[in-house]
Amino acid sequence: MARFLLNRLGQSVLLLLGVSVIGFALMHLAPGGPMAVYTLNPTVTAQDIERVKHQFGLDQPVYVQYVKWAGGMLTGHWGYSFFGGRPVGIIVLERIPATLELMGSSMALALFIGIAIGVLAAVRRNSVFDYATATAAMLALSLPTFWFGLLGIFFFAQTLGWLPAGGIESTGGGGLPDRLQHLLLPMLVLAFVLVAKWSRYTRSAMIDILGQDYMRTARAKGLSPARVLLGHGLRAALVPLVTLAGLQLPELVGGALVTETVFSWPGMGLLFVNALGTRDYPVLMAILMVGALVVVLGNLVADVVTALIDPRIKLAHA
Amino acid sequence: MAEGELEMSENGPVLGRRDALLAGAALLALGGTRSALAAGVAGQCILGVTQEAVNFNPLLYVNTGVETSVEFIVFDALWKIDPTGAFVPNLAAEIPTQANGGISADGRTWTIKLRPDVSWHDGAPFTAADVVFTLDTLLNPKVVVRSRNGHEHVASYEATDDHTVKIVLKDDFAPYMVSWQKTSVIPKHILAIVPDINTAPFNTQPIGTGPFKFKSRTAGASIEFEPNPSYHGGAPKLTSLVQKYVPDQQTLYAQFQTGEVDIYDTQGIPPLLYAKAKTLPGSKILLSASPFVEFIYFNCGKPQFADKKVRQALYQAVDKKGWIDAVYYGVPIPTLSYLPPNHWAYNKTLKDPGFDLKKAAALLDDAGWKLGSDGVRAKDGVRLTFSMSTTAGNKSREQAQQLVQQNFKKIGVEMTIKNMPASVVWGDYTVKSEFDTLMVGWDALLYPDPDYTDRIGSKLIPAKGGSGSNYVQYENPEIDELCAKGTSVVDQAERKKIYDRIQEILLEDLPFAPIFAYEVIVGVKDRVHGYEPDPYTPINSWNTAEWSVS
Repeated sequence: MARFLLNRLGQSVLLLLGVSVIGFALMHLAPGGPMAVYTLNPTVTAQDIERVKHQFGLDQPVYVQYVKWAGGMLTGHWGYSFFGGRPVGIIVLERIPATLELMGSSMALALFIGIAIGVLAAVRRNSVFDYATATAAMLALSLPTFWFGLLGIFFFAQTLGWLPAGGIESTGGGGLPDRLQHLLLPMLVLAFVLVAKWSRYTRSAMIDILGQDYMRTARAKGLSPARVLLGHGLRAALVPLVTLAGLQLPELVGGALVTETVFSWPGMGLLFVNALGTRDYPVLMAILMVGALVVVLGNLVADVVTALIDPRIKLAHA
Repeated sequence: MAEGELEMSENGPVLGRRDALLAGAALLALGGTRSALAAGVAGQCILGVTQEAVNFNPLLYVNTGVETSVEFIVFDALWKIDPTGAFVPNLAAEIPTQANGGISADGRTWTIKLRPDVSWHDGAPFTAADVVFTLDTLLNPKVVVRSRNGHEHVASYEATDDHTVKIVLKDDFAPYMVSWQKTSVIPKHILAIVPDINTAPFNTQPIGTGPFKFKSRTAGASIEFEPNPSYHGGAPKLTSLVQKYVPDQQTLYAQFQTGEVDIYDTQGIPPLLYAKAKTLPGSKILLSASPFVEFIYFNCGKPQFADKKVRQALYQAVDKKGWIDAVYYGVPIPTLSYLPPNHWAYNKTLKDPGFDLKKAAALLDDAGWKLGSDGVRAKDGVRLTFSMSTTAGNKSREQAQQLVQQNFKKIGVEMTIKNMPASVVWGDYTVKSEFDTLMVGWDALLYPDPDYTDRIGSKLIPAKGGSGSNYVQYENPEIDELCAKGTSVVDQAERKKIYDRIQEILLEDLPFAPIFAYEVIVGVKDRVHGYEPDPYTPINSWNTAEWSVS
């Protein structure tokens, strides 16, 4: 186990290095740059633009900029936002709680409902319930989330007046009930799509398992149907699902671009949209690196957990 | 990251029409009228904006709009401009003029008397040293200031006593009055001791002299201000002022409707929702004049546009009224100049050549551009075909482009649409004059001063090594002469004559075709009092001390 972990960590470091080089290069190769924000400002002259470019170091060759940036990253200096002048580390860290709150709650809810629907649909294959959930899942996956978001705002905020139209809490703060009220709508919108995914995954995994010999054996032993289904069936079906969950972990931190924008949710997704729009390189690179780190860790966690729930898999061979 | 990439949010009132979610807009426009989940808090006024203010240092921030709004709430400049266009003293004790001796006879020496009774939010007194420090910072090569606001014309400056500053200019520069209306003063006692102003904590925890003190910021959500009871302009009436960031226009509209925000400001309500907004109960919908003028920019350095007859023909072929009515619901005001028609220097005698496809076609015939067999005109091997660019995803502009494209097609001119993300189109593509034509909204550099040298002076073409913003590559010696004269004369009536002539020549030469001046559609809840749009100060937080809520 220890050797496996060391090995994987070594690979991860190389991977992150590669991601940083490619990410940095792509960002600078892409047309446009942070100076457009200055050009758009009518009080800024071309002279000002040249001066600011020099001040940001953007007039240097890209590899020089990369070495400076990477050196800073390694020594804990993530740099400063071009537009806010604040340390990038703080800018990114202060957005993580909001994203964790939204993504965590909607993923937990979606896992619970999605797995329940998937199991039921697998057991009652080709029933009305199966067809109804399949149709709902298709709808949820094909319609864009911003549409669901605006629909929710239209009904629950504008028409009925039950829920706020956006934000993480009332201005000035309003305690736990207020925060839950703000969380409800974006959480449901995001969960809706996730439930659709999870119920489909679970259904197909369960159908595979239900046909296995050991399920028949379990039934033959005289175990209760619930025990057979959950103890033997679901446990085995969870193995591929854990891998999928691990792959979704980055979203837990990365946030949801569209949903966060529609609901004014002050998380990473919204930060990324803004930083991308202004080409705030230091902020974008920090988000990219945090994202890459979480992807690497998510995969690692998925591997370890898979081994824990499935004794057939040995990490040493992974 | 989950989900697709959104278009970028843009900068400035003109450029902020982010209605990508048009489908949703139509839906919300049907809107129910059930209101007030969150009725307003007593004494608190909430300003809703669609971009996030992140830097509150008045010299460093870039986003004119939301960050200027914060600047006016927390800081003061030496004087303001009121809705009639008159300068009124703010940190200065009086407006310097040649009559009161504040400005020397040659216009180059300025003696500015400051109010002695002003203090910073931390209690320290405001003095002439702060004004001198502000100039030091603006001219410091290590500080990433957004713009030097015309202060590069300063030869020397000093504090002659605690409440008097003397500034000597190196050349004639009449717009300098506006420089000090646009430059907020920053505190020396705080910023002189930080190692690096660019990254100082002050930039997110500002201390000013303004009507409100910065209280707190929640990243990605809101900024709260509390009143400054000892404000030199009189204590504010509100107990709390909040700038709330709601990135999506439709969501902000919904929040305005439910009363979660009191003022829908800065970029304004999308024109699509204007008619609906006017019927909202408990709200006033105001049109606030904006200095931004929408143009078609012709790159005069390209062979298609070298001849002004082509530009004139294209201008006559554009259905400006259709553009304003169909795309912007009739809200903006037509203009024939780079100034909005309500500006004091606007030339009211300008004649609109009008929308006339026959005349336009005849003009092209005269100029030698003959229709080819492919339906496109050509002359000396140059086909009259070009691209037009603007920010991709700006739905209103995209509609306008299609309209113009149809107009041009009828006179044998082929226009293709080549839109790009804002960070691309407004980068080198614009600055180095790589475009054919642009659809763009801009205002004068030191608006409301009518000086436009930076955009029309022949020495100010970046593509030819100049240092200005003459992206259309326009060159006219008479204009150069008039521009120089315009900034050397101080008397307003004298200046008006010069700028009248400049506008006349520009309408003849048409390096850029003026279409309309923007009007921002502002929504204000009836509970808010004292809110007053100011055409000369397009950021409406200019008089927050007067605001109150009931």
